[in-house]
Amino acid sequence: MQENVIDQSKDITILEILDRVLNKGVVLTGDIVISVADIDLVYLGVKLLLSSVETMQKNKLNTVKPSLQIK
Amino acid sequence: MNNELIYVYCISSTPVTLDLGSIHEGLKCILFQGYYIIVKNVSPDEFSEENLKKKFADLSWIDKNARDHIRVISQIMKSSTVIPFKFGTIFKSEENLGKFISDYSDSLRENLINIEGKEEWSVKIYFDRKVLNEQIAEHSETVLNIEQQILESSPGKAFLLKKKKAELIEKEVEKLIKSCGQTCYDEFKNISELSRINNLLPKELTERNDDMILNVSFFIKKQRVADFVGTVDLLQGKFKNIGFDIDVSGPWPPFSFISIKERFCNN
Repeated sequence: MQENVIDQSKDITILEILDRVLNKGVVLTGDIVISVADIDLVYLGVKLLLSSVETMQKNKLNTVKPSLQIK
Repeated sequence: MNNELIYVYCISSTPVTLDLGSIHEGLKCILFQGYYIIVKNVSPDEFSEENLKKKFADLSWIDKNARDHIRVISQIMKSSTVIPFKFGTIFKSEENLGKFISDYSDSLRENLINIEGKEEWSVKIYFDRKVLNEQIAEHSETVLNIEQQILESSPGKAFLLKKKKAELIEKEVEKLIKSCGQTCYDEFKNISELSRINNLLPKELTERNDDMILNVSFFIKKQRVADFVGTVDLLQGKFKNIGFDIDVSGPWPPFSFISIKERFCNN
């Protein structure tokens, strides 16, 4: 049998997964289910971006600090 | 812990053996009207409407749970036809789940018939502008001609010709992107039963240096998957050296080819 995505899941990015599972498949809303309706990749994308910007800024601060100390 | 909500992964056409290992502890298979529904009882502490919204703001939670969602469904898909549910769909009670199954029985049956014996494959095509520019600059006769003219021209004329050369390259790039994208799409579509074009994802999200030019899901009969993989190799070979990369993943559960998107009310 051919390997499927879970067999190669190390290589599958979270983006690739979210591109499928967020608003595809059986999509139900209404009062008998709980489901977060207004979440899509763009919304999460913004959050992913913000978190990577935060990481970048932290890294920048980390690299800037030592040079400030040298002064 | 209060386990009173029901997280639904997928519906299977046949009974499912749940030997998914310790990370999927708690999974169970409920039989309703001939459908096997793979569920897990979850706590309102994590999955109540209010708490779920909070969890969706936590990227590490999403990462773990979205991966688990796909892992469970993919595992079951190996031995059965499955209708996958959107990530994070929780029924408030077994009665509600039963009501959904009973109200949507015909539609579920139809979906199961439509997806049986087929696999969803994702094709994302990227292109590297730098490589493509270089290829055109080196191989396009029109561009090479202008290059020669530039060498023989006065500085003023050379300036204008350089501008023209850049425009020509840009035009050629656009032409090649369209033709590569269309060729690949047509070839894969010929092998597939259905296709869905998805949104392009920006570089910031793909974290790749090249640009996405096509994002498509194809639905392919199992016996044609080998053809599809062969065509991927063929097209990859044809387009790789001019800067295109065909990124293929699958088989995925048929998320893109399920047609049940409803607002569902209890009354």
